[in-house]
Amino acid sequence: MPPRQFLPRHVVALRVSSILVLLLLWWMASEAMRDTQILPGPVAIGRTIIADLRTPGPYGESPYFDIGITLARIFIAFTTSMLLGTAIGLAMGLNWLCERSLLAIIPLTLTTPTILMVFLVIMWFGYSEIGGLVAVIAVVTPYVAVNIFEGTKAMDKSLIDMATAFKAKRYQSLRKVYLPQLTPYLFSAFRYAFGLTWKIVALAETFGLKYGIGYMFFFWFQQFNIAQTLAWIIMFVALMLILEHAVFARLEDRVFAWRTAHAR
Amino acid sequence: MTRIWSRKGQVRRQSAYLPPTPQTNRRLPGFPRQGPKPGRTASSAITVDGLIKRYSEPASQAEFIVLSDISLTIGEGEFASIVGPSGCGKSTLLNIIAGIESYEGGVVAIHPNAVVGGAGPNIGYVFQTPRLLDWLTVEKNIHFVLEAQNVPRSRWPELVATNLAMVGLAGQERNYPRNLSGGMQQRVAIARALAIEPDILLMDEPFSHLDAITARKLRFDLVDVLQRAGPTILFVTHDLAEAVFLSDKIYMMSTKPARIFKRVRIDIPRPRQPEDEHIVELEKTLMREFFSVVEAKD
Repeated sequence: MPPRQFLPRHVVALRVSSILVLLLLWWMASEAMRDTQILPGPVAIGRTIIADLRTPGPYGESPYFDIGITLARIFIAFTTSMLLGTAIGLAMGLNWLCERSLLAIIPLTLTTPTILMVFLVIMWFGYSEIGGLVAVIAVVTPYVAVNIFEGTKAMDKSLIDMATAFKAKRYQSLRKVYLPQLTPYLFSAFRYAFGLTWKIVALAETFGLKYGIGYMFFFWFQQFNIAQTLAWIIMFVALMLILEHAVFARLEDRVFAWRTAHAR
Repeated sequence: MTRIWSRKGQVRRQSAYLPPTPQTNRRLPGFPRQGPKPGRTASSAITVDGLIKRYSEPASQAEFIVLSDISLTIGEGEFASIVGPSGCGKSTLLNIIAGIESYEGGVVAIHPNAVVGGAGPNIGYVFQTPRLLDWLTVEKNIHFVLEAQNVPRSRWPELVATNLAMVGLAGQERNYPRNLSGGMQQRVAIARALAIEPDILLMDEPFSHLDAITARKLRFDLVDVLQRAGPTILFVTHDLAEAVFLSDKIYMMSTKPARIFKRVRIDIPRPRQPEDEHIVELEKTLMREFFSVVEAKD
């Protein structure tokens, strides 16, 4: 059988319908349970979310403040780990001494379980904003560094020689020869780091931080309110999906336009 | 002022030993030549004397001699070919002349000359594979080397257009390399090397990855292009027929140890045809001699 051609609108339709099926299954399960305390239906959760967005939180803060502070934490931790990781990865790729010494240390940080790192950092820094950031950065940075390091190793030496033969300037080579070859690795690091960052931020908010979406679902978890916990989880996931697809995917399409570009 | 690439690729100036080049010989990079080149036959463009290149394998500490005692002189505006079996170090020799690789002994000197501000002579390089930057359009690929060579931005459009037209790719400016065939990509690489108006053009088996028909066409184009642009050319190939058709001078190289064992001057008048009986005859003679030396080594 020849492979079927999928048009973009087919892909979108498929995605939407699979989400609809999931919602349907959820609705059927909640109807079968007949207990809104244990498993509220999608409609009830939808109502809860709308209501939550109008009600102040336990400290009298606006729910948008909780959402905002989570986004801010993610943004700061993500940017810091990306910059730090890229710098370390580049240093490892371009410098023999950095490569040998850091290759021994990075597996240690990669194998330390994330949750232990979070607890350790809380013990050191207390329940503070700094503690949360340090935990996230400590976990995410090594992943980014390893990815970028691999990118530097996979670079095409023949293109670098070409640039040297034509006497390209250093900034020219960096921008037009090195960086474009690193972008696939940067993006994969980007995506992975982003996924990791928001999971750890949620964890840190749940266990140690005041305010934020993670804090909200822990607050409702303590009162064993399943409807509210679910509502906050869904808000969180939806927000991250939107960020991932609306921002990163578009950016990636633009940067890699040359791969699929055709003559005008 | 002559620049000499001495040991380990470091640049050493010899202005103290050589008389200064007359002002008329100086040319800012990117500016067109005024009339015929001065001293076309008198002065040499590339001089390699007693060049030695060793390579040591890091793991086994074993040392290989890649090039031993290579000497050649290529006059300005001359088309010289180096013919040798694969692995004899031909590409290494070009890389050393281009300043990409270091060497252990001997002298590599490139004239003319250097220019105010200390930049060396313009060297264009066409590699075996196109080596284009796939993420840049054809036009931007050429801009890359023009910027590298400090060619004034105002001249870019004209240089891109004329050189793309010269290799038969007019109108492909905004296309991406991946949309072009292998032969077209190699033409872009040739246009890129010519765009900097090189004093010296290095070509490393530029047609060996192409099919016979495309290669033949590009050879004709090259001859055509050179009549107009006229740089000094050092052309590396393992194809004697190609070398005889294109060159003024052929150096034949053997492997183990890599050395030049014969120098032939080709006086067949141009324009030439690959099927011309003088060319075919010379090719046969050289072929016999070449294989008697190269095969005796194995």
